[in-house]
Amino acid sequence: MAKAQVEAGAAGHGAEPRGKRTEAGEATYLIAIAEALWEEMERDERVYMLGEDIGAYGGAFKVTEGFIERFGDGRVMDTPIAEETIVGMAVGSAMEGMRPVAEFQYADFMSSGFDEITTVLARYHYRSGVPLPVVLRGPSGGGVRASSFHSINPEPWFAHAGGIKVICPAFPSDAKGLLKSAIRDDNPCMFLEHKWIYRRIKEIVPEEPDFLVPIGKADVKREGSDVSIITYGAMVHKALEAAENLAQRGMSAEVVDLRTVYPLDEDTVLRSIEKTSRALVLSESYRFLGIGAEVAATIAEKAFEHLDAPVERLSPPNIPVPFSPTLEDAFLPGVSDIEAAVERLSAW
Amino acid sequence: MTTELRQTDQGRPLPDDRLKHVLYLLRLCRYFDERMEALYRQGRLPGAIYSGRGQEGTHVGVASALEPDDSLFPTHRDLSAQLTKGLDLNRVMAQYWGRIDGYLRGRDGNSHVGDWFGHRTFAVISHLPIAYPVACGAALAYKRRGDKRVAMAICGDGSTSNGRWHEAINTSSIHRLPVVWVVNNNQYAYSTPNTLEFGVPTIAERAAAYGIPGVRVDGANVLEVYAAAKEAVDRARSDGGPTLIESVSLRWRGHAGHDPAKYMPRELLEDHMANKDPVKNFETWMLAEGIVTAGDVEEIQKRVEGEFEAGFEFAQSSPYPEPGDVTKGLWVEDGYWTSEPGRGGGTEAS
Repeated sequence: MAKAQVEAGAAGHGAEPRGKRTEAGEATYLIAIAEALWEEMERDERVYMLGEDIGAYGGAFKVTEGFIERFGDGRVMDTPIAEETIVGMAVGSAMEGMRPVAEFQYADFMSSGFDEITTVLARYHYRSGVPLPVVLRGPSGGGVRASSFHSINPEPWFAHAGGIKVICPAFPSDAKGLLKSAIRDDNPCMFLEHKWIYRRIKEIVPEEPDFLVPIGKADVKREGSDVSIITYGAMVHKALEAAENLAQRGMSAEVVDLRTVYPLDEDTVLRSIEKTSRALVLSESYRFLGIGAEVAATIAEKAFEHLDAPVERLSPPNIPVPFSPTLEDAFLPGVSDIEAAVERLSAW
Repeated sequence: MTTELRQTDQGRPLPDDRLKHVLYLLRLCRYFDERMEALYRQGRLPGAIYSGRGQEGTHVGVASALEPDDSLFPTHRDLSAQLTKGLDLNRVMAQYWGRIDGYLRGRDGNSHVGDWFGHRTFAVISHLPIAYPVACGAALAYKRRGDKRVAMAICGDGSTSNGRWHEAINTSSIHRLPVVWVVNNNQYAYSTPNTLEFGVPTIAERAAAYGIPGVRVDGANVLEVYAAAKEAVDRARSDGGPTLIESVSLRWRGHAGHDPAKYMPRELLEDHMANKDPVKNFETWMLAEGIVTAGDVEEIQKRVEGEFEAGFEFAQSSPYPEPGDVTKGLWVEDGYWTSEPGRGGGTEAS
């Protein structure tokens, strides 16, 4: 029965996410994430999912559509609206050897489970030696006119908690490989899925069951020689667009995708700065004490002798994400802002 | 019904040797509590202490109903429950002095102790109701796998005002999880009395709101507490779902060592100390039943004092953690927690 469903899915008519790829074999970021979940659920029966409306409804963004039919309500658990308990249950079941993957409908609602995340999940292994293989997933980020409570970038809060790996992929393949790595990791991992990317970006995504992308490793998405743009998440796509425009004007920007914001891959960042001598740190998290602040400080501290210009940061101000298109566009760094920043840096 | 303290005729609910063990535990916990407070006042104990005096009947009673594989999610005030679960006094005392042989290798102190891989106790977290959802998760694992195991969580009356308490009990009811919820109602949350924590007469009656059984027992009677806990544990183990137990006691000391508890009416405290002392009550019953003699009690006390002295010596001679290890053990892959720790930290504090 289960096997038949998988085969039907592979043919494109059933539940299996891989059946939802395009005819050319491309997967969106959303489908790539669903593939990672499906494959890890198939591989390891200790893996289970819990969250709000992930069962019959298939999740707020339909990432888990079809999962309950394949894996049953024991492994695809609809919870009450109780985020502290979602996290706490994930922790308790992980202490007993299960490998929970908890879904938040939006990353904004992680703050409703903040205490269990930062006080228990982040600190328990250091205190006690008990591994907590827990993954918390949630759609983060703005640019979709979802306003203050459905657009947050919470990665600095949780990177600062100390004991949680915080992953923010930008491409479908990275999302799939990193989520599989997170589920197999024995430490707490937060996996932030940028909702602007979900259905916008697609590519051919590896199908090997053990395709993994290492946590804590950045990736150079575009080679360049004049300026390094250090970024992650949806801003990677803005940076690539800006780099393409700049190339037409004879400027060469390198785009470094952090992929994981904690732990930070300092080596890849510093190697890029050694090459270009100019750094634009671009982030969708707030400018004040955001991920970009840490990256900029690291460059200033460890690559000072390579710099030909001051490190520049581009990130939103510390205000709630506004709704109206004119306001949100003014809030988020845009392609033209990135181009202007690169031009300023190049002029040094 | 739940507004009344349950009164049952327990007879002898356990074999005599186990009853003697209960008396030993009660005596041990009382003596430990008194001696540690004295050391704290003399400035010889670093950190904080959270006395459980007067509440040993609750903590020893509920934990006595657990099997070794069952898990316990305790608080800072119920070290008695962890000692009942079997924690080694030497290692507990090494933890108080921040030494490497403490269960948490000096990463946490005082009664914020736990021994998950050994005696299945959760390392206490100060935000007390925080462990309630975690207990749900352990119980969920047992249920999913068909393990005949039970999780038990303890909190105080103050925790019942917090959202986690409600969330966890509600969730355990929905999924009929094998969990026992214990509230040590010692009548004060720090300085705040019951009347400023909840608007219903008792905590136990709240069980009705979750569709689970609730029982209110006298924490001064360890056998009543044990009987209620055993019933709840058996229910959970046989897929009967969760139970809420409210055990009523009084916190004889302040919230922590620094708190003189002047807000507590003197006559209330005197009444409890004179008439509702769980250690004295049980000892009197054991003597009356002829299960122990006065000589036996004296011997138990000698054993307790000897163990305390040995624990003290063990703790003082155990080295501090090495300062160079401070960042180790954050991630599983650095191997700190699966290898022997460095023992070169010396025994002299800076």
